[in-house]
Amino acid sequence: MDMKDTAVLQVCDLHVDFAGTGHSVPVVRGLSYRLKAGRVLAVVGESGSGKTVQALSLLGLLPPVARISGGRVLYQGKDLLTLPDEQLREVRGQKISMIFQNPAASLNPVLTVGEQLCETLRAHRVISRQQARKQAANLLQEVGIAEAEKRLDEYPFQFSGGMCQRVMIAMALALSPDVLIADEPTTALDVTIQAQILRLIKNLQQASHMAVVFITHNLALASQIADEVLVLYGGLCMEQAPAAALFAHPVHPYTQGLLASLVSVRSKVERLPAIAGQPPVAGEVPSGCPFAPRCPHATEKCRAELPVLQNRAGRLVRCWREEQK
Amino acid sequence: MVRYLIRRLMMLPLVVLGVTFLLFFLTQRLSPEMRASLYVKDPRQMGSLEEVIRQYGLRDNVFKQYGRWLAQVARGDLGYSPSANMPVAQAIKQYFPATVQLALVTMVLVVFFGVWFGVFSAVHKDRWQDTLARVISVGGFSLPIFVLGLLLLMLFYGKLGWFAPGGYSLQTDLIIHSGSFKMYTGFLLLDAVLNGNGRVFIDVLSHLVLPAVTLCIGSFALMVRVMRSSMLEELGKDYVRTARAKGLLPRQVVYKHAGKNAIIPVITLAGIQFIRLLGGTVIVETIFDYPGIGRFGVIAAQQLDIAGILGFSLMVAVLFVLGNLLSDLLYTAVDPRIRLD
Repeated sequence: MDMKDTAVLQVCDLHVDFAGTGHSVPVVRGLSYRLKAGRVLAVVGESGSGKTVQALSLLGLLPPVARISGGRVLYQGKDLLTLPDEQLREVRGQKISMIFQNPAASLNPVLTVGEQLCETLRAHRVISRQQARKQAANLLQEVGIAEAEKRLDEYPFQFSGGMCQRVMIAMALALSPDVLIADEPTTALDVTIQAQILRLIKNLQQASHMAVVFITHNLALASQIADEVLVLYGGLCMEQAPAAALFAHPVHPYTQGLLASLVSVRSKVERLPAIAGQPPVAGEVPSGCPFAPRCPHATEKCRAELPVLQNRAGRLVRCWREEQK
Repeated sequence: MVRYLIRRLMMLPLVVLGVTFLLFFLTQRLSPEMRASLYVKDPRQMGSLEEVIRQYGLRDNVFKQYGRWLAQVARGDLGYSPSANMPVAQAIKQYFPATVQLALVTMVLVVFFGVWFGVFSAVHKDRWQDTLARVISVGGFSLPIFVLGLLLLMLFYGKLGWFAPGGYSLQTDLIIHSGSFKMYTGFLLLDAVLNGNGRVFIDVLSHLVLPAVTLCIGSFALMVRVMRSSMLEELGKDYVRTARAKGLLPRQVVYKHAGKNAIIPVITLAGIQFIRLLGGTVIVETIFDYPGIGRFGVIAAQQLDIAGILGFSLMVAVLFVLGNLLSDLLYTAVDPRIRLD
């Protein structure tokens, strides 16, 4: 096993519940994955699939309504889920950092961009204000913001959405973390800006050999950046495979459906194929496969019994059809 | 910014004219004889009543009389207040600093404890600390000021004899009128410091305690509620999650990040409350016999001292406009997104 294969972050059988009225609702159901150093793992899923929740639970950033009911998140041999607050703070922003879906709202409106960058540096390093400021300016330059020195004194509302996300990225990468968790970092941005931000993340990731968890609902984006793709549905991992293999040959009917509904410039179709039905509402989790109500191949067994995740030649699939093969 | 200030200050004469004219119009409901009789000190002079009415033009058209009053005010003369037995301007100059002093001490207490309790309550949402803070604030809110003031007076003056009513003790009165005590500002606390007189300082401060605490409790409750809900709203926002994700200390997340945003509505509230306090904390000043502008206003009203009433309301109107302007200016200091133009 060479360096490339060592996992920097390992999620084992993660369970997250939301407190409902009287009963709790499972949102993430036994999720496991290994994040390898310097690789990009895309977590793909629809709204409500649990992709953001699983990401937030890694750093203990879940809203009060959510509760981690099981599992471990291993980083450097330590379980982040049971780490004391003080040690978890050491990890946050320094070893594992995160960028979010809505960059403009993710920055504090009443603090200057420079202040927000500097405080990240000063939270983990013993440096003077001047040093922090100098570093902050360099960071802004690195993420492609012109006149960085001047813009340090500006407030987030003076930045566009794309620029705000660049600031967020600068902040996240300020301390050269091992892992970057990017939660739909381009969703709130224009398409042209999306491509720029994606390229920026990719470049910085390759330059620093950092591992990335890239969360998106957009398979096309995942195909551009990911080394490996994990498809999440109803809080369950449906399929996980190296990106090339997954896009070339999707196995799970849900993945197939997602890929079929992608628009291609070359294809000439009258109407875009779509997956019939609605994703499951959390709390009404069916006893069988959560995708069964929408699956064209569903059988009685699918509706009655939850398929197990099984290894099929380097890829993980959760489907009874694979069992029969 | 300058243009904004000019535009806002142009509101000042409008508000002042509106308020004073309304009051002036109301005082005209009193007959000229009643208004004139205020200036007659001796019953034997009653025969000269008609002379006074004629001399001051009390039978003239209301606009003419109001115009005369305005011209007089423009010359800096607010008239003579029979109830205070001195010119109105002098009465304001004498009583207002005491009220400012009381209002400032009260506001410092209210803002400090209100903000702290509000944050405390929000951070411990739905736990016992929060419940306790809410019970205290609702309790304080529901307790009428005149009940609380009297209770405090009975306990701390009547029973324990710790804090006396009034503005200062007799000894202090002797000291400040002795000639060696210089009145630099009219604010006794400040003057005591400038004179280096610790006894006066402590005496004046101890007379401030009961009225300040009484005023504090009602305003404090509202402050806690506003701060709590504002804080809860901010704590749920995305940038707070970012701050936590960066590995900041809980203290930094709560005070620096959420707190700086949550304080914005509190500033408005504090501004309004401060102006209300400056405009005379009528009930409290009366209960504690505190020599402030509120007590002056009440006595003037009770004795139909028209010059006193008009002077008092003129001052309150000016304060109202300036106070609101000040709290708007404070906004810009806290929230960079707000630009005044």
